Amino acid sequence: MSDGWVIRNLRAIKGRAYPRIIGAKREPSWLFFEIVLPLFTVAAYAYVYQFMDARDELIGYVVLGGAMTAFWLNVLWAMAAQFYWEKEIGNLQLYMIAPISRMSILAGMALGGMFSTTVNAASTLAIGALIFNVAFHISNPFMLIAIFLATMVALYGMGMMFASLYMLFGREAHHLSNLMTDPVYLASGFFFPVKYLGAWAAAGASFIPITLGLDALRQMFFTGAAEDAFLSIEVELLILLGLCVVFLILAHYSLRYMEYLGKATGRLTLRWQ
Amino acid sequence: MNHEPAVKVESLTRVFEPKKKKEGKSVRALDSVDLQIEQGELFGILGPNGAGKTTLLKILSTLLLPTSGKAYIAGFDVESQFNDVRQKINMVSGGEVSGYGLLTVKENLWMFSQFYGIKSKVALQRIDDMLKDFGLSDKKDAKVRTLSTGQRQKMNIIRGFITDPDIIFLDEPTLGLDVNASRVIRDFILQWLKDHPTKTVVLTTHYMVEADELCDRIAIIDNGKILACDTPERLKRRVQMNTTLSMDVTLLKDTTVFRTFEGVESFTFTEDGEKGLTKLRFVMRGESGVSDIISAVLGQGSRIESLQKTEPTLEDVFIKMVGKGLE
Amino acid sequence: MAVMNDLRTMKNAAWLGWQMEANWADPFLFATYSIVKPISATLILVFMFMVVTGGDTDNAYFSYMFIGNALYMYVAEVLFGVTWVIHDDREHYMTLKQVYIAPINFYAYILGRSAIKIVITTAGVIITLVFGVLVLGVDIFLGDIDWLLLAVSTVLGMGCICVLGLALGGITFLTARHSIGINEGVAGIFYVMSGIIFPITALPTWAQSISKVLPVTYWMDSMRRALMPDAMAELSSAAAFDVTGLGGFSNLYIMIYLAISAAIFFVLSLAVFKFADGVARRKGKIDWTTSY
Repeated sequence: MSDGWVIRNLRAIKGRAYPRIIGAKREPSWLFFEIVLPLFTVAAYAYVYQFMDARDELIGYVVLGGAMTAFWLNVLWAMAAQFYWEKEIGNLQLYMIAPISRMSILAGMALGGMFSTTVNAASTLAIGALIFNVAFHISNPFMLIAIFLATMVALYGMGMMFASLYMLFGREAHHLSNLMTDPVYLASGFFFPVKYLGAWAAAGASFIPITLGLDALRQMFFTGAAEDAFLSIEVELLILLGLCVVFLILAHYSLRYMEYLGKATGRLTLRWQ
Repeated sequence: MNHEPAVKVESLTRVFEPKKKKEGKSVRALDSVDLQIEQGELFGILGPNGAGKTTLLKILSTLLLPTSGKAYIAGFDVESQFNDVRQKINMVSGGEVSGYGLLTVKENLWMFSQFYGIKSKVALQRIDDMLKDFGLSDKKDAKVRTLSTGQRQKMNIIRGFITDPDIIFLDEPTLGLDVNASRVIRDFILQWLKDHPTKTVVLTTHYMVEADELCDRIAIIDNGKILACDTPERLKRRVQMNTTLSMDVTLLKDTTVFRTFEGVESFTFTEDGEKGLTKLRFVMRGESGVSDIISAVLGQGSRIESLQKTEPTLEDVFIKMVGKGLE
Repeated sequence: MAVMNDLRTMKNAAWLGWQMEANWADPFLFATYSIVKPISATLILVFMFMVVTGGDTDNAYFSYMFIGNALYMYVAEVLFGVTWVIHDDREHYMTLKQVYIAPINFYAYILGRSAIKIVITTAGVIITLVFGVLVLGVDIFLGDIDWLLLAVSTVLGMGCICVLGLALGGITFLTARHSIGINEGVAGIFYVMSGIIFPITALPTWAQSISKVLPVTYWMDSMRRALMPDAMAELSSAAAFDVTGLGGFSNLYIMIYLAISAAIFFVLSLAVFKFADGVARRKGKIDWTTSY
């Protein structure tokens, strides 16, 4: 019927990425929403800092954090919750009976949405920096890329793990995603340095890859960020690499277990729960 | 494919437990089902709503685990060897709305083919050929959301067959389709089996004519149990000893009396208020009870508008086995 | 008779909205969700404030920011609620066409479905404000609240937001699935321009001109005047400079402005909804699905 397991899964990734890519082309209204609208939240928080005569770095953190929210929201809504939506549409069972890894489907979703997410993040960064005169200094581009990639892989690994839970969920999937948006913005220090939450809270929040990713990126981009840092860049990179491995393994086993649970209880294909 | 049966089911049981007590009792959707389907068969599963047909198909297609018992697809256990099973199968359901509305028909079909690792060139050729078979070539570049129900279901059928499965499960594939669309799908299935003699089709349907026309063998299922499993001809011969009597009479006051008549195996009735008729249909052991039936009808002051004795059909077999018509 | 039918439609739609909003979880989980979500959103701002001030929240601006952010939930959730009704019914449950062709007032149905959002949001707002007062020392004292102003502001403000939601709901007929962000974006405009978490005087002059046209700006100001009159008086005259930007307007002026804005938005929203509805029917978009 087809080539081996690796080729089959690579084709599956390509196949699932395709609707996202072509959807972005055929429904171009996303451009406006993804580029312009996130700027409002960034602007609001930046003006708060400006009104309080805060340090310039803090405004920079808001712009950076605002850009990174694109990835968090993509993980939460366009990946984690996606299996729930696929179930409601009737696609999930077709994915389940196909001879491919569930992670391939999720990877395809992630890659397919990466273009619009990157446009969102990049435009927020660029326009935010322009409006609020934020200067980004890149001292070590290789380290920057390493930090960013490690954060993304760990983050999307975590997203895949969440997706396994969403396979079984009913309408609580939407609410759970809603519930995780603001608390993660708070706990991960999207708009303020996470160390101000206290050492224990920051340590706990470090299990969310974007916490340390943001902290490291701040140190890379802003010269005055060292005083706001939770851990050093090198330590944060190491932890992120560890999280990559942990979450990808957890995602694999979680997907397998949740699928088994769904099949045992009959909830895998149960709609409108 | 090897010489294993395409499908083998041993004492398969599936019980659904409610999430909360107040949601009711547990439901025994399948009850010790035994079945064997050979390679190359077009096997039909007939049963009323809630009989367990879809549950059986979900277990066989690895979407659901059995509570007890075993099921094998081409020798692979659906529970522990599901990855191997999935390489052999595909499934199409009636009324499916899968896929993505803003993709074209071709793109949608190509996308699903990629989940089975089929090379794009091969997939696109198959898509073109099958769209031609189904008369959908002009819809190749149409968005899925613009398709009519019949066109959509044809696309779904193509999605199922495009992966060239060894065994394909069709769960009421012609549900809600008009005569022409149903005809095209049935003809395709028959031709496909003719061209691929080692492939197997497992079909559930409500349409007796469809089952009668298409299936090599049929299993009749109700309340999770297989009541009979045989070729259509041999199933009909089971009721050969019986007479089927169809009567149209003016509206009857009391239809319950017929149940107690000797010689009546089973009967169904429908009321046509518009025409003021009650349509009675009896499966009888011999013809001795016919006069009692006629007397009972006339005794209630009704008139006999028509009276017909017919040969047993699959529907008669079904009524005899299940005790009611298909809902 | 028509009014009774509309009220019945709204009642039934509100019941349905409650089923959709509340019965996805057990009461404990639902309560947790209803408390955690609003408070965590507010705590982001609290920590931002504390990073700058070193932990000092005894500040009129802190209360200004806190109350604004709490009340903003109405803006975000109600706008979201209206657009979500159309999106969810169309894409998810695929019941929009059945409701649409039923002999009911469709506006009443949407408003009824959204009404429950207002109720749930009210609980979130109250929880957040109580948390702020008890834990963070927000400047609200029950004895100082101007209850009449509060009541009138609430009614006029809710009316404004609901009709705006109606317009956005109509636009949802025409837009693809990802435009759930449409309500977030419009709410975002208010977030920046309407003095929600910082006074409009922090904006450039040209932006302040826009702020002074938006009804939510006046709504926020009047609600703060009702809830924390002393703190607002302080901010309006801080260092001889009206920090709030609206200190020169009386309560009556603000109420009248809100009422007129609500009326104008009502007419505009109905027009937008009707137009979008007509286009959607012409293009067959009432029951289309756009997920990818």
